[in-house]
Amino acid sequence: MSRYLLRHEAILAALLVLALIVLALQSDRFFTIDNLLNQGRLMAEVGLVALAMTFVIVSAGIDLSVGSILGLVAILLGVFWQKVGLPLPIAMALGVVVGALAGLFNGIIITRFRVPPLIATLATLALYRGLAEGISQARSVRGYPDWFFVLGQGEMLGVPTQLWIFLACAVVAAIVLGMSTFGRATYATGANAVAARFSGIPVDRTILLIYTASGLISGLAAVIFVSRVSTTRSDMGTGLELDVITAVVLGGTSIFGGRGTIIGTLLGLVLMQALKNGLALAGVKGDGTIVVIGVILIATIIISNLVRRDVDG
Amino acid sequence: MMKRTIRAGLITAVAFSVMTGIAWAETWTGGDDLPTNPLACDNTPAAAAAKPYDGGQPTNAPDRKGKKITVVDIPKLIGIGYFNATSKGIADAAKELGNVDVKTDGPTKANIDEQITFIDNYITSGVDGILFAANDPVAIAPVLKKALSKGINVVGYDANSTPDARQWFVNQAQFNGIAKALIDNMAKEIGEDGAFAIVTSTFTTPNQARWIAEMSAYAGKCHPKMKWLETVEAQEDNVLSFNQATTLINKYGDELKGLFGMTSVATPASAEAVTQAGKCGSIAVVGLATPNAMKPYVDKGCVKSVVLWNPVDLGYAAMYVLRAVADGDLKPGATSVKAGKLGELQVINGSEILLGAPYVFTKDNIGGFDF
Repeated sequence: MSRYLLRHEAILAALLVLALIVLALQSDRFFTIDNLLNQGRLMAEVGLVALAMTFVIVSAGIDLSVGSILGLVAILLGVFWQKVGLPLPIAMALGVVVGALAGLFNGIIITRFRVPPLIATLATLALYRGLAEGISQARSVRGYPDWFFVLGQGEMLGVPTQLWIFLACAVVAAIVLGMSTFGRATYATGANAVAARFSGIPVDRTILLIYTASGLISGLAAVIFVSRVSTTRSDMGTGLELDVITAVVLGGTSIFGGRGTIIGTLLGLVLMQALKNGLALAGVKGDGTIVVIGVILIATIIISNLVRRDVDG
Repeated sequence: MMKRTIRAGLITAVAFSVMTGIAWAETWTGGDDLPTNPLACDNTPAAAAAKPYDGGQPTNAPDRKGKKITVVDIPKLIGIGYFNATSKGIADAAKELGNVDVKTDGPTKANIDEQITFIDNYITSGVDGILFAANDPVAIAPVLKKALSKGINVVGYDANSTPDARQWFVNQAQFNGIAKALIDNMAKEIGEDGAFAIVTSTFTTPNQARWIAEMSAYAGKCHPKMKWLETVEAQEDNVLSFNQATTLINKYGDELKGLFGMTSVATPASAEAVTQAGKCGSIAVVGLATPNAMKPYVDKGCVKSVVLWNPVDLGYAAMYVLRAVADGDLKPGATSVKAGKLGELQVINGSEILLGAPYVFTKDNIGGFDF
């Protein structure tokens, strides 16, 4: 494990430092506290979902429905509050609960009906987005009270509110995945589900919990997102799953399961965000930035694979 | 006899009120909830209501009068004909002005989150002015207010934000004007009792939702017998628009006499769907689109009227307005602004600048346009 840590994460960290230096040289506005904190704000939603996605992918699964869950919860938050007339804090809590239920539903399809996660969540990606569109009746909900915006637009001790939430969640996720029995069960499930089952690891329960957590945290991200942009739309979170999976895979988590760390995911996230922001500040246009991110993703994985083969070989 | 007349009168009255009730309750899907203001059925222009300035102001903006400024243009998305045309207009105006350094950048999909991130990054990079076309009027407001708070001049075009989040908005055509042009042309082509469907981007896109709401109001007022069948969403996606239009053609068969395309993507795609279904001439396509995309269909006679303004002029005007704001020449309360070759443009609705009346491209004039 520690030898692996030395490989992908070290390469990634070196790459990140290199990228930061290059980007800082390109624009004097990149390496300012203001900009970095602001980037943290923009990164928080993708980051939160990526934490749960690390568990999902380590367990040899995938969750494509996270963006749709985010859209669904965003819409429900607005509907619960404005149409049903619930107090906003209760609407927020209910929204997150619905997110968790949506994730639990994914888990049930996968464990009970033995549907591969890719297919199951591809189906719920369409299902949840359709629900969001249907429930919203294509109307946005606006006019939230000012205190609600603290979550997405405010700051605590000079740091964006959602960044605190994200950091807290990241610490919890790192401890659970790296040090707890549950974390070991997740690795075992991903490495070899059959062997894990025979070793007495509650594979199905582990998977159920992971997908529920993924839904729950997507719901949380939805509440933050709504607070940040101050409106709900049924198309919120479209394509979020791709950003999230990119960050996790860039962070060294094996898409085949059994390998990956929260630290890696964090590095992947920061690298991606730094590139998007830094290249924009350096005057590279949006389409160019996507190309660079694609190239870096492929390059990192190839380098990491080469190095691993050397060590293993 | 008397009784009968009264009874008949009563029944008519009840029937009438029920029908108006239904008409009131039935709003077309895809419209928004804002009040509508349909124009007169003939060509009487609407009286312009005076309204105080309701835009925002940048805080501590430096004196930029006559100085070279850096401007970024962030449309809804890049890489489509329409916004290529607006950014050409912006670049033309910048060249003419000579003291503006402008570039266009933005998301490749009409995605509000990405657009916000782009604007945020340009605020950090320290531009003097921002031109935008909003994907969502409310969602974009916080980041635009942030730009204003950093002393950046903010001017919108094509798709507005909430008024206090920008200084001015260049309105390409008033919503009720476009709605009138669309409905009148459709009525001319399919008759007063024809049935039609609408292909739009999404139900929440501000412009399209506004037009559809105004179309519904205007049709109810001036062409009450026309029948609206359905509004479908097609993002601003070529393939999806084509598929949605084809589905409509198959679903309604001979009942469907006309298709409205509400975006520059949906209109040519709808025309293509009608062509491929062999329904040219029996299904009319009326919509908003750029002339180049529509030339093949107009030349073949498959499409008779394309409604739009000139997007090159729109971008051009937006750039001139931004320069005037930066120079301090366009202040709250002004009634008009000079915009280069376009002459004087009128201020409407407090903080909007009207580009002009919508333009209808037909077989006779479309050849003269290239964008």
